[in-house]
Amino acid sequence: MAKEAEYAIEVEKLTKRYGELLAVDDISFNVRKGEVFALLGPNGAGKTTTVEIIDTIRTPTSGKASILGMDVTKRKHEIVPRIGVLPQGFSSFDRITVRETIQYFSRLFCCRKTDVDGLIELVNLTDKAQEQYKNLSGGLMQRLGIAIALVNDPEVLFLDEPSTGLDPRARREVWKLLLGLKNKGKTVFLTTHYMEEAEFLADTVAIISKGKIIAMGSPDALIESNANYLVLTLKPVDEKAIEIVRTMGFEPVHDNHEDIKVRVEHMDDVQKILNTIKDGGALLLSLDVRKPNLEEVFLKLTGEALRKNPAGGVAE
Amino acid sequence: MNPRIVVANLIVSIKSFYRARSTLFFMIAFPIILILVFGALFMKQDNMSFDLCVQDLDHTDSSAQLVKTLDIDGRFNVIKIDPAINATQYTKDNKLNLVLMIPKGYEGSFMQRMALHNPDASVTLTYLYDPSSIFVSMKMQILNSVFAGINQKMSGKPPFIRSAETSILAKKYRFIDFFVPGIIAMSVMTLSLFGTVNLNTELRQKGVIRKLSTTPITRTDWILSNILYQFILAVISTMAMLLVSYAVFRINLHIDAWLPLFIVLDVFAFVGIGMILTRFAKDAESAAAAANAISFPMMFLSGSFFPLEMMPGFMQTVARILPLYYVNEGLRASMVFNDHMAALRYSAIIGVFAAVVFILGIIATNWEEGQ
Repeated sequence: MAKEAEYAIEVEKLTKRYGELLAVDDISFNVRKGEVFALLGPNGAGKTTTVEIIDTIRTPTSGKASILGMDVTKRKHEIVPRIGVLPQGFSSFDRITVRETIQYFSRLFCCRKTDVDGLIELVNLTDKAQEQYKNLSGGLMQRLGIAIALVNDPEVLFLDEPSTGLDPRARREVWKLLLGLKNKGKTVFLTTHYMEEAEFLADTVAIISKGKIIAMGSPDALIESNANYLVLTLKPVDEKAIEIVRTMGFEPVHDNHEDIKVRVEHMDDVQKILNTIKDGGALLLSLDVRKPNLEEVFLKLTGEALRKNPAGGVAE
Repeated sequence: MNPRIVVANLIVSIKSFYRARSTLFFMIAFPIILILVFGALFMKQDNMSFDLCVQDLDHTDSSAQLVKTLDIDGRFNVIKIDPAINATQYTKDNKLNLVLMIPKGYEGSFMQRMALHNPDASVTLTYLYDPSSIFVSMKMQILNSVFAGINQKMSGKPPFIRSAETSILAKKYRFIDFFVPGIIAMSVMTLSLFGTVNLNTELRQKGVIRKLSTTPITRTDWILSNILYQFILAVISTMAMLLVSYAVFRINLHIDAWLPLFIVLDVFAFVGIGMILTRFAKDAESAAAAANAISFPMMFLSGSFFPLEMMPGFMQTVARILPLYYVNEGLRASMVFNDHMAALRYSAIIGVFAAVVFILGIIATNWEEGQ
């Protein structure tokens, strides 16, 4: 009897090269059964190539990837019925309704027992069940994509940027849906460039940059080990407060609003900055102190923002 | 191959097609319009009559009798021109391609020959013609044959050489009967080729193929369902073409098992070619351009519209390496000549071709790097 695999996904020295371009550079990691694993990185970092090798869409140049103990390049036909995939930029047949689309994919998996209505309800598309795909909004299309990824009741779910292009409300709805899947014990492999998504959903986050995994661990552990400081956010009335902070030896950074962010070591530093601004006669409209997030971890590790904004600062 | 998957795919394709009403209309309407236009053209050729302008400068009973003879012949609709006007200028001004001029003195010469038996008496009729017209030589040939008949009668002796026409076909066929099988072959080709290329490049560009590659559907399932779908469309289109042809032109064709067989082989061959094009074309536009580059020469060179005999020798050789030629000839062999041996020969050739491109189509369909 075959030994039950300890990990849902095992990746070892995986490399993918397109001519001169090294898209995935010798990466290794494991995903435990039942966990949500997020591959976090900016566009072009190699997230999609990595997930598409693991979920059998692409073949690696070298290295090995296994799902449930099965090599993805050798046992695709055994793997496919046990995984569910939402590819990046998911799309379906324009003139086929929500219900028909789910039925179609269910038939591809030869699943007689798929609860089509249950899936439609799960992704909250009951009102749109008879709507053709082309008439759905971006958020509804993504939810249908997730429903399709679930038609075969997969053990491992791959979601490639499930909330990209969605408005904040639609994104929250997708997160809620994914949280439900996590609670059902599904192993979820997620790629995203939204650090909030990774922080909110993931048990383990791997940060990928230029095809390499540069850090991996739980969100808390990553922040603890890579960003042991506080972030002070100030909204000054004018430039005077910024000058004062700068003369104190701190480096204020503009974000995409009118706020500035200041990295401080202790709460004492916060008090010191506030007192100096007050003594200097400058005024503040608001202030906020918080722990750093994965965005700052990524910034610290790579020197780049996960997403760029026009002002050149770090996006929220 | 998994029949359940093939059927599931087929259902989705048919529903998508049915819900795109404009596609439905154009798919059925296009070949029917071709049949109606070309059919009307060929029907006219089968019973063709020409306008013939005649200027009778003699203006006598004898010359009037000659004009009447031309009119009664049925191949000409005679239009008389005023003898007082300049015929050359009139021909130019009215863009006529031929005017027959009966000279003054026609009756005098006629009487000399008939009453006085003067063998040297003769008359010269003038053809005033525009050499750039494609019909003028045909009109002049018909006129010559009419005049040869008159001369023969005037000689008072029976003709030495006579001709008898015996058709090699048991029935009398018109050009439309040969044309319809060619249009069936051509429209099944365009449906299969463009249908496959358009569907597959669109789905690939949208990422649907990438999603399908993460399901148990295989490339063979996918291509077979494409073929089945295109076959159903081809049958609908062929039935519509045949119904219109029967209703409007009363065509006279044999319909037997060869017809669906040739449709299947036509579909297999061109869906296979479509799959190969889809693999190498980067986007829908370049795939459609490649499909056009293949289908247009095929339409005109393989004898769908024009008989091969009309083409120069080297083009006839080219035609014989085109798969559509064998579908055309096979359909004509079965539907027009009822020649089962020829149909078998052509079906074997196109069958081998279809099998090869079908296998190449499966090999060329690469979903792993589908985007």
